[in-house]
Amino acid sequence: MATSFAGVPIFDYEALASILFFIGLAGAIARRNPLVMLMSIELMFNAANLAFIVFARAWLNNAGQIFAFLVITVAAAEAAIALAIVVVVFRSAPQVDVDDVRVLHG
Amino acid sequence: MANPEHVMGVVGSYPLLVALWLLPLLGAVLCWAFGPQLKRAAGWIATAIAFVAFGLTLASWGAGTQSLNGALGADQPLVRWMPGFHLGLLLDPLSLLWACIITGVGALIHLYSIGYMEGDSAFARFFAYMNFFLFAMLTLVLSDNFVGLLIGWGLVGLASYFLIGFWFYKPSAVAAARKAFVINVAGDVGIMFAIFLIVQKTGSIGFGNAFAAADTYGPTLLLAICISLFIGAAAKSAQVPLHTWLPDAMEGPTPVSALIHAATMVTAGVYLIARCAPLWSHDGNAQLLVGTIGGVTALLGAVLGMVQWDIKRILAYSTMSQIGYMIMGVGVGAYEAGVAHFFTHAFFKAQLFLGSGLIIHALSNEQDVRRMGGLRKRLPFAFIAMLVGVLAICGIPGFSGSFSKDAVIQGALDHGHPWLYAVGIVTAGMTAYYMFRMLFVTFFGAYRGDIDPSELGIRHPEFAGTSLHAPDGAADHHHAPAWLMNVPVAILIVPSIFAGWLLYGGANSPWHHFFDPQFGVGAIARIPIPELTTTLVTLAFVAVGIFVAYLRYGTKSARAAAVERLRRESLGMSPILANAFYFDVALDALFVKTSEALGRLVSRVLDPHVVDGSVREAVIVTQWSGALARSFQTGLVRAYAVFLAVGIACFAAFYAFHGVH
Repeated sequence: MATSFAGVPIFDYEALASILFFIGLAGAIARRNPLVMLMSIELMFNAANLAFIVFARAWLNNAGQIFAFLVITVAAAEAAIALAIVVVVFRSAPQVDVDDVRVLHG
Repeated sequence: MANPEHVMGVVGSYPLLVALWLLPLLGAVLCWAFGPQLKRAAGWIATAIAFVAFGLTLASWGAGTQSLNGALGADQPLVRWMPGFHLGLLLDPLSLLWACIITGVGALIHLYSIGYMEGDSAFARFFAYMNFFLFAMLTLVLSDNFVGLLIGWGLVGLASYFLIGFWFYKPSAVAAARKAFVINVAGDVGIMFAIFLIVQKTGSIGFGNAFAAADTYGPTLLLAICISLFIGAAAKSAQVPLHTWLPDAMEGPTPVSALIHAATMVTAGVYLIARCAPLWSHDGNAQLLVGTIGGVTALLGAVLGMVQWDIKRILAYSTMSQIGYMIMGVGVGAYEAGVAHFFTHAFFKAQLFLGSGLIIHALSNEQDVRRMGGLRKRLPFAFIAMLVGVLAICGIPGFSGSFSKDAVIQGALDHGHPWLYAVGIVTAGMTAYYMFRMLFVTFFGAYRGDIDPSELGIRHPEFAGTSLHAPDGAADHHHAPAWLMNVPVAILIVPSIFAGWLLYGGANSPWHHFFDPQFGVGAIARIPIPELTTTLVTLAFVAVGIFVAYLRYGTKSARAAAVERLRRESLGMSPILANAFYFDVALDALFVKTSEALGRLVSRVLDPHVVDGSVREAVIVTQWSGALARSFQTGLVRAYAVFLAVGIACFAAFYAFHGVH
């Protein structure tokens, strides 16, 4: 098992992935603009991708790489649907704020 | 003693039975469905159907009495339900006799009813019910299995309910109908229980299998079956303590009282015990029990009959008493005698009821004998009819009742029940007393209908079977009974006198020849006291009864002082007798009050706290958990994101502490 790539230890890669993930999470929770939320979610996806790839290299197991491709595909589909929803909501409201769209509250 | 062979085999099948059985149902449906169109024709159609049914019954005589190598009668299978559960119709001497009375006396009473019910707004409905009753009663007596018998048993109860409550605008009639139905259903439950026991043991509902296995039941089971059956018989046949519905049932129209509550339906208990003779013959305890209850009923009915004022209630208690005789007869094992008393009683009691109907009809629905008197000259035909009936029921030699009653009394002694023998003789004397009392008060002396009721000691005219409108004293206002009512009564006079002669000759009598294959030759320890002695002793008691009645009500001075005497007697009546020995009160306290208390307990404790309470608790829990779950559904996407993150964090923390495995 390799412990570093290109002179950078695995821990640092994982630290970067974690930081990216939590930045994305914070953005998704804190921001009210749906476009920014989507960008934050993309950030979390890519943090996960980074972790997958690093672990794939570390364990010499290509499953992680395949997972990364899957995540990219799902992210693309998710972005398409989410943007479509954003467009629909934008048509009915002058200004898009996710907190204003709460018709499903119990 | 009884020969169980007869029910194990029948000689042949007999499809005509189905027609006989279903014909009255057709009449009932016709009268019911087309009553408004048929109007008075409904009565004639129903009557014609009853007569045709009687003709069919007579035509079936040969089929019912045929016997071959121990097989007896004819059977017509109807439905093969499942193994051991086959429904069919059976015609043997016993059911043939009952069918003859049901259709024959029934047809005469139908004819009478056309006159009696004339002008009633529900004329067609009445005849629909009457034909329905014939159908129900034929179902009862023609069934070859216990389930069919129970179906008929329930249906006659229903017909009785319909007809007691026929004048449903009278609250007392509705109450009487309900009472009769409830008590009868209690009896139905008894029979059903007996069927369970029999099916459990034999796996079959047929009479044949049940009786063939009579000696395999064992004493406990056999006694349980007999007692269960007798509960049904006692409820239907007004035996103590289930007799209280019968006097109340007199709320129905008088022809109904004659047909259902005297001649046929109330004798179904006698039929049941005679039918189940193979069971009773195997169980001395059941015989003792049933014979004793029959004797007690005979005595009690006679005691209460002595103090009634309503002419129909006198006859009702007399019916109860006479059925007591029958039950005593079939109970102790003198099946031929008990059935014979049913046979003669059907004629003379129908005769008495129809005769009283003539009086009631002529006096505009007056039923209280205190407001009658002197009717001998005004209604001579009714007087003759009633006189024949009274002589027959008292057992005056030569009249039908004397033969059968003496046979029952003698039978009690022959089967080893001297106490029942004594009860039978004493009851015969009391019967003579109350019957002649009725005769003297009704037909002799002066007419009292124009006297104010209170002077006769009638405290509550509206409750006492007294018509609310004072009957008109003028003779020409009494509309004479139509010939329709007189002809059936006149016809009934013949069997009331002569039917008993069938029993004449003991072992050589036609009666014995008719029933010998059914009940077998009894190996009875023969005659400690000869029949002639029994007859003479009974006659002595009857003479005393008549003489006392004559002294109290029949002498010239008694007739002259009748008003004063009746008033004193009415007001001075012992409360025990006035309340009929408090049987109603006791049954009320035992069953009605306890049921009500149970109902109150349920409605106050069980229902609100257990049933409703558990439902309410379920609702509260659901509401609470719903509110909790709803509080997470804020609709804020960002909140959901937080929940998601927290959830994932929890998972992560769990695996961090515990490891993946």
